[in-house]
Amino acid sequence: QQLRRRFRSLQRALHPDRFGRRPPTERLYSEQHSALVNKAYQTLLHPLSRGLYLLELSGIQLAQETDSDADSEFLMEIMEINEKLAEPSNEGNLEEIETLIKAKQEQLTKEVTTAFERDDLQEAKKLLAKMKYFANLEDKVKNKKIPS
Amino acid sequence: GPAQVVDHYENPRNVGSLDRNAKNVGTGLVGAPACGDVMKLQVEVDENGKIIDARFKTFGCGSAIASSSLATEWVKGKTVDEALKIRNTDIAKELCLPPVKLHCSMLAEDAIKAALADYKLKQDPKKEESEKK
Repeated sequence: QQLRRRFRSLQRALHPDRFGRRPPTERLYSEQHSALVNKAYQTLLHPLSRGLYLLELSGIQLAQETDSDADSEFLMEIMEINEKLAEPSNEGNLEEIETLIKAKQEQLTKEVTTAFERDDLQEAKKLLAKMKYFANLEDKVKNKKIPS
Repeated sequence: GPAQVVDHYENPRNVGSLDRNAKNVGTGLVGAPACGDVMKLQVEVDENGKIIDARFKTFGCGSAIASSSLATEWVKGKTVDEALKIRNTDIAKELCLPPVKLHCSMLAEDAIKAALADYKLKQDPKKEESEKK
């Protein structure tokens, strides 16, 4: 709620439409800042991107390389959901899979919040990595729903 | 060249699973957090230590799928020790992967190593444990 209000009030002040008759420099600033406000809003709106941004502020990124101490039970779970999703016979069960993914994401979001509150950035990093796998699954479900 | 990535992506070889409970099957399961790719690679080894079959399942980008497809092709016919020498740079070169996709070939190399480590552990759990110390 607060985020949305802040976003709106910034855009009211900065939107290029308000600067139509202003000099070129002001129009340029308006465009740049307005675009930045959009980007900031989108980043902060979604738990995964928000969490990753918070980590970035502390100089932490998700590992580019293979995760060698990955929880192998967790990876198996991700594999299984992917396999279910890939089965043509499950096309009718998309909602079931989608509900499962949402539930997992909500749970992880709560855990990430707790980690940040405790200032346990390494724990937050691990949990956000897990959220990344679920975000990919969420995208795949969305793509399956688009009629081809 | 570029055709190879497309070929391994559109016609990946060896997609599937082996029986993870079989004593002569090694299973490697790896993930790349930054992109959320997950890769499972399995090898079946004969009594002479030679890899006679390999399968993979990868959920991720085309380069990850192509890398694991190529990895399963390459391990077949090699001994366990020979397969451990496969480097991600060889995979990347063969597939002409761009720099931004190099981590995909690394994921495949790590999957091979994980599968072979799992196989070795199953052959002699006590020995593996003592070698680790």
